[in-house]
Formats: sequence, structure tokens, C-alpha cells
Amino acid sequence: MGIILTYLIPILASTVSMSTPLIFASVGGAFSVRSGVMALGLESMMMCGAFGAVLGSYYSGSFVVGLLCGMLGGMLIGLFHAVLCVRYKVNQVISGIGLNLLATAITTLLMQIVWGNKGTSEMVDSIDTSIGGPIPIISEQSFNFFVMIAVVVIGWIVLFKTRYGLRLRMVGENPRAASSMGLRVHALKYSGVIICGILAGYGGAFLSLDQLNMFVRDMTAGRGYIAVAINILGRYNPLYIVPCALLFGFCDAVQIYLQGQGVPSQLIQMLPYLATLLVLAFGVRHIQAPAGVGKHEDD
Amino acid sequence: MNAVEMHGIVKQYPLVRALDNVNFEVEKGEIHSILGENGAGKSTLMNVLYGMTTCDEGEILIDGKKVSIKHPSQAIALGIGMVHQHFMLTPVMTVTENIIVGSEPVKGPFVDYKTASKKVAEMIEEYHFGIDANARVQTLSVGQQQRVEILKALYRGANILILDEPTAVLTPQEVEELFVVLRDLKAAGKSIIIITHKLKETQEIADRVSVLRAGVMIDSGLPVKGCSINDLALMMVGRKVDLSFTRHRDDPGDVAFEVKDLNLTIQGVPVLKDLALKVRKGQILGIAGIEGNGQTELIEVLTGLRKPDSMTLLKDGEPLSGNAARFLSAGVGHIPEDRLKRGLVTPLSIEDNIILGYHKLNKFANRGIRKAGAIHSFAEEKVEEFKVKTPNVLEKCSSLSGGNQQKVIIARVFSQDPDVLIAAQPTRGVDVGAQEFIHSRLLDLRDQGKAIILISADLDEVRRLSDRVAVIYDGRIVAESNHDEWDEMELGLLMTGGKEGGGESA
Repeated sequence: MGIILTYLIPILASTVSMSTPLIFASVGGAFSVRSGVMALGLESMMMCGAFGAVLGSYYSGSFVVGLLCGMLGGMLIGLFHAVLCVRYKVNQVISGIGLNLLATAITTLLMQIVWGNKGTSEMVDSIDTSIGGPIPIISEQSFNFFVMIAVVVIGWIVLFKTRYGLRLRMVGENPRAASSMGLRVHALKYSGVIICGILAGYGGAFLSLDQLNMFVRDMTAGRGYIAVAINILGRYNPLYIVPCALLFGFCDAVQIYLQGQGVPSQLIQMLPYLATLLVLAFGVRHIQAPAGVGKHEDD
Repeated sequence: MNAVEMHGIVKQYPLVRALDNVNFEVEKGEIHSILGENGAGKSTLMNVLYGMTTCDEGEILIDGKKVSIKHPSQAIALGIGMVHQHFMLTPVMTVTENIIVGSEPVKGPFVDYKTASKKVAEMIEEYHFGIDANARVQTLSVGQQQRVEILKALYRGANILILDEPTAVLTPQEVEELFVVLRDLKAAGKSIIIITHKLKETQEIADRVSVLRAGVMIDSGLPVKGCSINDLALMMVGRKVDLSFTRHRDDPGDVAFEVKDLNLTIQGVPVLKDLALKVRKGQILGIAGIEGNGQTELIEVLTGLRKPDSMTLLKDGEPLSGNAARFLSAGVGHIPEDRLKRGLVTPLSIEDNIILGYHKLNKFANRGIRKAGAIHSFAEEKVEEFKVKTPNVLEKCSSLSGGNQQKVIIARVFSQDPDVLIAAQPTRGVDVGAQEFIHSRLLDLRDQGKAIILISADLDEVRRLSDRVAVIYDGRIVAESNHDEWDEMELGLLMTGGKEGGGESA
């Protein structure tokens, strides 16, 4: 019992905290892929979300405004991605990777302009309220724990139980069919990608305002790509995404815990990325993406 | 009153005038066939009616009222439904989901799946469609999928039903079943428009016919009764087409291609059983049979695409084995059953497709480097010879109509002078003009002393071209005889396994 309290509970608490931004981004990604647009740009949406959140909090002095600005940042990238992929039919891989590169550059540039420092921002108003209560793993989380659960449940209901979700999935599976049924294919695709941007942006804001209280260069450090893997492994279904994200969060938590325990830190830091690699190599073989990903209604 | 009236429809594409001042009317409660060759503008006309494309000029009246249709949703609201040639279905979703999307019953914020699947099940019952409303579409046969498409239109209250080449993908039985459905729908007061290039089917099912040729309406609203097949063919192609020409040869040479003890089991199910056949030089061996009796697998085995469990294969008395490339270089030509799956790489140009499989020959390649000039002039020559309609040979194959795609394949196979030709469904989905051309080329090849195995679902084709006819049933050749031994009825009986036929061997 003593061992559990000293070792396991901190690691599990850290697992939940590390998984939360991944879950936000992956659920967002599910909306994007279900509408037929690849979610490779999750990294850029998270990054701009993280940056937007700090910027908003910096100017307003309130983390609430920060969170809203974080969602706005992610949404703008999502909108950009949608315009490229839906309106101009740009290759979705190229658009996604291009946006990821753009996001690193633009946040660094803006940091230099706003704070005169390319490495870190100033500290801003952030979220520090712990829930407390008797359950040790959850008591250290902020209210975002409940936001995350709500996003997962509502995301699942919207995708699989509502009229909007059925139409979105039909567009993602077969845009021509959807169009011939009188659905507004473009509008639905835009909505899917923009929801993706908002949620991924919120995930990014969680990184900068919940786990930290500032923005640092390359803050997301590949989490957007990990979220892409989680999204695939979770079969583009918010409910399945949760356990997959927890797996990656656990690797992250172990990695943090093992730092300073005498193991070379570089090796330890590989852990989450190694897990991603293994999952992509072996875990996703039989998972089929919606058939209409990357297709247009007039192909 | 007419259900549909289209007046002066004009549709101009950058290079072609797809529809030139077309007038078209459909009466309530009739089955109206739009007849025309591949690329005559039939689908374009119907896409205009369904709002998939907009016309440049002209007006549309539905039930006597002038309407504007810019999007399928407007057509649906006017009671128009369309069953596309390539089904607009999502295989991973259920029948119900596919049918209701776009007009879902809701309960609060949620889709009311219970009510939906109940309603769909009732409709299935009403029209005797025999499918499960909750089955996933990918588990259904092609004919059943087509019924899901029809249900989609009916669910939206369609009174005018457009079917684009509905029989192209169906087996003969499924065609009969479809016609029963269509007659039921007609009896229920629906107006039905069928786009087709099949003359026989037009005669069988349609009340009236309109003929389009190169975007011009040749004749509209002609009663089908009193039109002979030759009349229709003349209108459609614009010249006399002889659909009954044939010539047989009774003096075949040595055995060119012989198969013995062919056995094939797929996932524990025997598909081909002790199958044996032989074809002589200067002979066409037709293989008649209902689809799904092992023809596809037989074709794959005979062209080296699939390894059988056991087989002795002799070409000119020499054993032949190996992969498909080996078969090709040994002089076994292959016209594939499914031109999009096995026949062409559609995103590539005509010139690339016309040498596909033969691209390593010295005349096309020099130590692995393409001889661009030689390929280009070869392709231009063959396009000319085989009458492929295209602006130039660099055009992608995906831009060609089905008949012209088939001609590209025929050109490729014939130009390499095969000793043995496996011709599978050589005229599937091809209009009568192209059909006549392909048939005469096949007969020419036979007259040059080549051995041809013709596998076709089209009985007329088999009977007309073949010198000998073999019947395949349940993975076996159950009967074989000279071409004039059986009439259509007897052949049909043999194909359904109703009679173990004899016939002497050649």
C-alpha cells in the first residue's frame, strides 16, 4: 500500500494530466478525419492554441480570455487548413505539414515581437485551481479534467447519434454520394476541420496555461503528431481515443518520473515517441480510415 | 400531363457541345428509355435534370410547372430520384443509414434510428426487396446494392426515377429481377427513365424511347412497339449496324492450348473441379455460363494471375507455367474481365496503357529506358487503327468513355500478335458500334489461325462468335459441342445445371 501511494499515484495522476491535451487534440482530429480531411495539421493547431492562450492571458490578465484565445488560435489554423483542402483541393498531407512548419515559425516570430525573446514568453495568469476531494489521482487536476470528459462524451454523441454526425461521416466516407443526397459537402467539411482546430487549440492552451504558465518555443514538441497516431489507433472514435491517449500519457508520466533517477535522460525522453513508432508500425495495420479521406465530391 | 419536360437544353463543355438544343418529355407512369452510344450525352442530360450539372440554356418543367434545378437537393424536393451507374453508397454503413442520410427522422437532438429502420424495413417489405435494413451495405450483392439505391430515391418520395445504365453491373438473373421491380414501380404510378445503350433491354422494358447521338436528340418519345432492334441501332449509331453477322470455321488446326486436371480451392471451397478444355488454332471456344460459376477464377488461372492447386497446361504441346508476365511473353494475350481493375491504369495516358505489360519489349525500351518517340508513334498508329475516339494519345485513360477504354485494351492485346487469346467479356458495357468493331476484330484474329477462348455472360455473343461452345457450371465444364448444337433454351438449361449434356469431343 505504501509503495502504491508513493510511486503509483503520482505517476497515474501525471498520466491523466499528460493525456488530457492529447485527448482534446485527438477528439478534434476524429471530427476532421470523419469529415474526410486528414488531421496531420494537429501539431500546428495545438501550437497556435498554446501560443494564443498565453497571448490572450498576457493582454487581458485572465486565463479565461486566454483559453478562448487558444481556441481561436487553433480554429484559425483549422480554417486555413480547410480553405486549402476543401476550397482549393490542396493535397492534405502537404497542407498539414506546411501548416506545422508555419506554426513553429510564426509563434517564434510573434514571441520575438511581443516579448522580445525567442525562447520563452513572460509568465501569465494561469489555471492553478485543483479540484481537491478524496480521489487522489483526480484531486490534483484542474476543472479541465471535467471539460475533457465532457468533450469525449459529447464528441461521441455528436458523431454517432446526431443528424449532424451521420451527415459528417457520410461526407467523410463518400463525398460524391453525400453530394448526390443533397448534403452540403463543403460546409460539412469546413465544420469538421474547424471543430478540430478549436479542440486542438484547447489542447494546446492546456499545455501553456494548465501545465505551465507561459509559452516556450516548440512547446508542443510533437504532441500533435502523437495525437494523429492516437486518433488512428482510437479508430476515429472519441471513446476509443481515451484509453489510447492514456497509454501515451502513461509513457510520458513514466518518462518524467524516471528523470533524475540515474537513467540517462535522453533515453528516457524517447519513451513516448518510441511508443508512437511501435503503435504506428504494429498497432494500426487493420484500421481503415473513412473511405473518402482526401477525396472531393466532384472527383 | 407530362411528368418531365425539357426544352432546348444546351450544355457546352470547353471542347465539345455535350447537349445541343435537346427536347425531351416523359409521361406520367411510363418507362422511358434514353438510348445512345457511350458519350452521346445521355448521362449529361439526366445530370442536368437531377441538378448534378447545370445547363447553359433551356428550361425544365416538372408536372407542367417551370422549375430551376441547381443542386440535387432541389431535384429531390421536386420528387426526382436518381440511381447512378456507380453506386453512391457507403459500404461500411448500414442500409438504413445510407437511405436516411439527408432526411433523417429525429427525436430531439438525436437521429431516431429505431423509427428509421422500421420505416426502411416496411419499404423493403412493400417492394419485396428481400434485404435486411440493418445489414452493412458491404455485405450485399451488387443487385441488392442497387435496390438500396432505388430505396434511397423512393424514401425521399421520388415519383420520377432516373436509372443510369442500371443493368451494366448486373448478372442476367439480376436484370430480370430489376425489371420485375421496375414494372411494379410503374404500376404504382412512378415515371421511370432508363439510360442505356442496350437495345434488347430497351425493347423488353421500355414503353417509349428517345435516341441521343453526339448530343443531338435524333428521335424523341418513339413508342417501342413497332421498332425493330435494327431500327434502333440505325438511329443510335447513325449507320447500319449488322448485329447478326457471323462466320464460323470448321477446319481448325492443331491443338494450341490445352488445360487438364485443373483444380482450385479458395478458402476451403472448391471453385474449379477437374476442369479440362482445349482450343485449336483458328478456333474460338466460347465458354457460356452464369456468372459466379468459376469463370473469373478460370480466367485468372489461364492468364497466370492465380496459382491453381493442380493443373497441366500445354501450349503448342509444351508445358507452360509461371506468373502473368511469363504468360504474356509466351504469347497468351488477355482481355480482362474488369477493365478498370485489371485492364487499365486509368490515371496514365493512352500511350502508356497501350504498351502496358509489353513495355519491356525492345521496340519500346532500351535497357530499361523508355523509347518515347517509338512509343508515341506506335500509340498514334494503334489509336487510328482501332478507332479510339480521343484528341491525342497523351490523354488520360480515365477521360475516355467505357467503349473507348475497351478499344485501348483490344488495341494493346491485338497489336502484340498473341498465339492464344483469353477474351473475357470483351464487349461488356460497350455500345453496339464498338461491339460490332470488336467482334469483327475477334473473327479476323481467328481467321489468322489464332486460338481464342471467349468467356462472356452475353449468350448471343457466345453463340454468334464461337466455333465450339463449352458450358461451365459449378466449376466444371458440363458440356461441350459445336456452335450449332444447342438452341438458346437448351443452353440456358445446361448453364443452370438442369441437364448434364454430352456432345462429342473435337
